[in-house]
Amino acid sequence: MNPSSIPALETAESLPFDLLRVPVLGDLFRWRYARPLLQAPLLVVSILMILHGLFGPTLAPKNLATTLSWLNFRGVLVLVLLCAGNFFCLACPFMLVRQWARRLFKPRFNWPRALRNKWISVGLFVLILFTYELFDLWSSPWWTAWLIVAYFASVLVVDGFFKHASFCKFVCPIGQFNFVASTLSPFEVKVREQDVCTRCHTKDCIRGRREPVSDLVTIRGCELALFQPSKVGNMDCTFCLDCVHACPHDNIGILSRLPASELTTDPLRSGIGYFSRRKDLAALAIVFTFGALLNAFGMVSPVYAVESWLGQVLHVNHEAPVLGVIFTFFLILEPVLLLGLAAWFTRTRVSGKRALLPLAVRYTYGLVPLGFGMWLAHYCFHFLTGLYTLIPVTQNAIASLGRPFLGEPRWSLTGLPANVVQVFEIGFLLLGLAGSLVVTYGLAEDDAPDRPLRAFLPWAAVCLVLWCASMWLMFQPMEMRATMMSG
Amino acid sequence: MGFLCAATLLIAGCSRPAASPDLVTVEHEISPAPARVGITTFTFKLADAVGKAITGARIVVEADMSHAGMGPVFADAKEEQPGRYQARLNFQMAGDWIILLHVTQPGGKKLERQIEVRGVRPN
Repeated sequence: MNPSSIPALETAESLPFDLLRVPVLGDLFRWRYARPLLQAPLLVVSILMILHGLFGPTLAPKNLATTLSWLNFRGVLVLVLLCAGNFFCLACPFMLVRQWARRLFKPRFNWPRALRNKWISVGLFVLILFTYELFDLWSSPWWTAWLIVAYFASVLVVDGFFKHASFCKFVCPIGQFNFVASTLSPFEVKVREQDVCTRCHTKDCIRGRREPVSDLVTIRGCELALFQPSKVGNMDCTFCLDCVHACPHDNIGILSRLPASELTTDPLRSGIGYFSRRKDLAALAIVFTFGALLNAFGMVSPVYAVESWLGQVLHVNHEAPVLGVIFTFFLILEPVLLLGLAAWFTRTRVSGKRALLPLAVRYTYGLVPLGFGMWLAHYCFHFLTGLYTLIPVTQNAIASLGRPFLGEPRWSLTGLPANVVQVFEIGFLLLGLAGSLVVTYGLAEDDAPDRPLRAFLPWAAVCLVLWCASMWLMFQPMEMRATMMSG
Repeated sequence: MGFLCAATLLIAGCSRPAASPDLVTVEHEISPAPARVGITTFTFKLADAVGKAITGARIVVEADMSHAGMGPVFADAKEEQPGRYQARLNFQMAGDWIILLHVTQPGGKKLERQIEVRGVRPN
């Protein structure tokens, strides 16, 4: 049977809202070259950031590299993830360069089976958080520019050797952040009608659309091994829309859904497996959640007192070992203690014979909304309080070229008052707490249908502890130093 | 892209900031010391290469934080005594600040000096 003869069922009124059905926007996304069109401007901006970071002002608030990276990009990223989905990965400029490079060098190898997990990317995620603090990346246009260069180089090396989207799926720390956060997004790339997929024989969404005779792929299928009919949620989905373009039945949309709903269930997910069996994914969720608190902790006054005290206790003057201790506490000891205790209580009160680790892994995903709430609060604080600063920074960059056609820099343009932004921060943290409690209760209902409240309470306690810690952090005086151990 | 990276590396490697000739010396003090969030008095002396006070200069003092998104604070410095200038700065946040002196000398010659004020304390 010719697959293109399979009609999509016309039951639009029963379907969720579909972004691809929106006039103009939907047409744009369905266009095969939508992705390069979105990537190209970001690539230009990336190159400008590199150049300005290396050759522009050394002061971070006056440099495009630091302003765009640590202020605008992060702020817009989390807001888009909250309000829409993983659209940054769609417009990722690194992938555009990779595509060009792959015209010259075809990758020959498959990503090693032993590394087909998130452990490398979890390690890189931690490494980026660590170097961010150690080298004060936010204060250095120079290092920020080199970080972007290193990112481009890494993409080219990894995807130059290995087929498919190995970098995105197994390496990219920003991508992992987006994957985890997008589990809370209101949109998902998803099939419209399962029946159509059931009757489809070509499976172009995963295999790619091919020339009938030569069998050459003309439109790529999913490079992240997500088979649309059994894909669940946004984990590992870069929103690249390859599947949308490859599907001969126009049966894939960007559909609305209940945010976080994918965290409360544990079905077999294409390209991922079961969440409850993925310790690497749980570790990623832990770094995402506890790393959010750690990253914010690095920007408030008490961190300097803690660092100073640790430096005295350890008899060291260098920041690296002190940071190592702080990271070990935040990312290993604290999660082990909190999650271990909660799992132990759950086992004691509900299911006496289960091992602790699988129990902890299962419930860890419930903390993701809290973590995202903290990332939102932190990043939006910087973004909103410095909302307009990109204008004078851009004016200054252009003026430095000798042609100030945008006028002299208006440094008086800053952003929203901190007390106004604090309202947003509290809202994000409350939203995170509510999300985590709802997800955790959903997990408890699924895990212990007879006594969900008993299973829920220990994890609710963990959520409350983390939320109180987040609120405490948010009300600490900000203190931005580029020299942590200076006392 | 590889060429771009290599060229960038090469050019950047060759163009790290070089020390500028020390035409003007700056001695400064800050009150209260250590500096705290809020209004701070920044006093400094300007002298030329042979130690002669530079008088009658027009000086804009700019204070920046180390994080992007923080707007700079500006103040005009007043000459309290010959060659001795004073400006009142409002440090809005604790942390490290960088003070830039935008100096226009009586002859119209312009120069900039950068001074780090580390560890401004919270209130």
